[in-house]
Amino acid sequence: MNGVQETGGPDDALVRAAQHGDRAAFGLLYARYSRMVHGILLARVPFSDVDDLVQDVFLQALPRLNTLREISRFPGWLASIARNRAIDFHRRTKPTDEFDEESDSAQSGTHAPFANHSSHSSAEAHAILQAIRSLPDAYREPLILRLVEGMTGPEIAARTGLTHGSVRVTLHRGMQQLREILGRKASPPTGGAL
Amino acid sequence: MTKNPTNPENEKMLKEDYLWDASGTPDLEIQRLESLLAEFRHTNRALVLPAQIPVAPRKFRALLIPMLTLPRLATATAILLAAGLTLFFFPRPKPEPETGPAWDVANLQGAPQIGTKAIAANQTAAKFRVGQTLVTNNDSRASLSEADLGEIRIDPNSRVRLVQTDANRKRIQLDVGTIHAAIWAPPGTFVVDTPSAVAIDLGCSYTLHVAPDGSGELHTTYGWVGFHLLGRDSFIPAGAMCSTRPEQGPGIPYFEDATPAFREAIVQFDSSVENSAERSAAIAKILSEARAHDALSLWHLLFRVNAAERSQVYARFAVLVPPPQGVTRPGILNLDQSMLDLWWNSLGLGEISQWRFWQQSAYPQPPPNTQPLLQEK
Repeated sequence: MNGVQETGGPDDALVRAAQHGDRAAFGLLYARYSRMVHGILLARVPFSDVDDLVQDVFLQALPRLNTLREISRFPGWLASIARNRAIDFHRRTKPTDEFDEESDSAQSGTHAPFANHSSHSSAEAHAILQAIRSLPDAYREPLILRLVEGMTGPEIAARTGLTHGSVRVTLHRGMQQLREILGRKASPPTGGAL
Repeated sequence: MTKNPTNPENEKMLKEDYLWDASGTPDLEIQRLESLLAEFRHTNRALVLPAQIPVAPRKFRALLIPMLTLPRLATATAILLAAGLTLFFFPRPKPEPETGPAWDVANLQGAPQIGTKAIAANQTAAKFRVGQTLVTNNDSRASLSEADLGEIRIDPNSRVRLVQTDANRKRIQLDVGTIHAAIWAPPGTFVVDTPSAVAIDLGCSYTLHVAPDGSGELHTTYGWVGFHLLGRDSFIPAGAMCSTRPEQGPGIPYFEDATPAFREAIVQFDSSVENSAERSAAIAKILSEARAHDALSLWHLLFRVNAAERSQVYARFAVLVPPPQGVTRPGILNLDQSMLDLWWNSLGLGEISQWRFWQQSAYPQPPPNTQPLLQEK
């Protein structure tokens, strides 16, 4: 099993209408899939660039929609465009420019992620995001879709074209790894409590 | 993947209901992560579509493969392909169109802009052309006019693009903001694309507002307007209003002089989940509060309820506005279009043939899979 759903998607009619030039249908697809695209990009590029790249992804997808032969593959196809757009972003960006926004919090690494330090919440949020980004590809996307975009596992499965089982496993294992990373960051070298 | 219940990891995984679908006992650790990370969440910024969308050739792969099997053509194909891709992807400035059909544009207040150029207060010959975007900030307003169309006033904080203007169709895209349209073109000529519905003028004047999240609201002051998304239609006659939302399209239109309870019930219905107790309560309230005038809303409700609920709506509708000759209960319960059209025409709110004519001209060959969405319940 490859973890990809084979059945027709619930948005097939929308995709078909958009292929026929229905702009409102494409707008609806944007409404339904923009969170997924946002999450995929956020897993790979600086937060400050994500909104613009989301627009880019949909503007790249629109003229190519009629090349999509199996419309039930739309979610995976759109996700691929988003991932490629993130790769393209890094090709065009100087390495030193990347992830500047997180550098302070990422370098500090001293926050206790599960403790109640409200005054440091934003820096802490950046540190957690950075920790998720350090996870393997297979885990960081589902975790960002779940924890940042607020999507449920079933929604993630529906939007990405993956099976429920596959999403459940990646969420579970990704969360385990995230706990380990954040636990290491939160603990001083002598092994003190959180 | 098959879950083995004897595997400890699987057992633990199956207990993580909150991580899976936010159900079960809330996991405080995950809730805290969600709360902290919410600042990075997608903000539902509206998508801005270009007026002209290039279309990639559908048969490209099918053509490419046999061509590459011919050695003499392979090199030429590769060169053409590289050139084509370069032209397609290379970012190039798009010159502002200076020719072609145009509408007159006037500055009503402040400094509205077309592209990067501000429209001067005393500018008399400013033109708004296909492909251009008019933007107003929080203290500017503008008006668009075209001799065969009418006048459209643009309120502050709006963004409008001219998509099409020819003898048969005048089309703009309202991404965000508010317009007031007074249209004298034939019904069906003037069309406004919004992120959550398409507004089709059927001989009228109206106000249309689009919020930054793509939701919209239309108030008709004269004539009537059609709101359309993927076969979901709402007709809004003078004195009525209708909301539309990106995930759902047009809601149930209602007269603004309806009782507050009736209006609240319509809003509740539009935002409720099908087969929920909330929806049942909203339908009951709509039916009990409806006046004869509110048959407008009941007619739309027929399309958006399940079979059992449709029977209730029919009963109330028939009391308020007796079905005309040729309209039967079984026909309405089966959503017979000709009978529904006859009943609509008996309401005196506009001839539905105008709408059918627009549908035929706009969607001569509707995509086959839109049918299930046309009949939602």
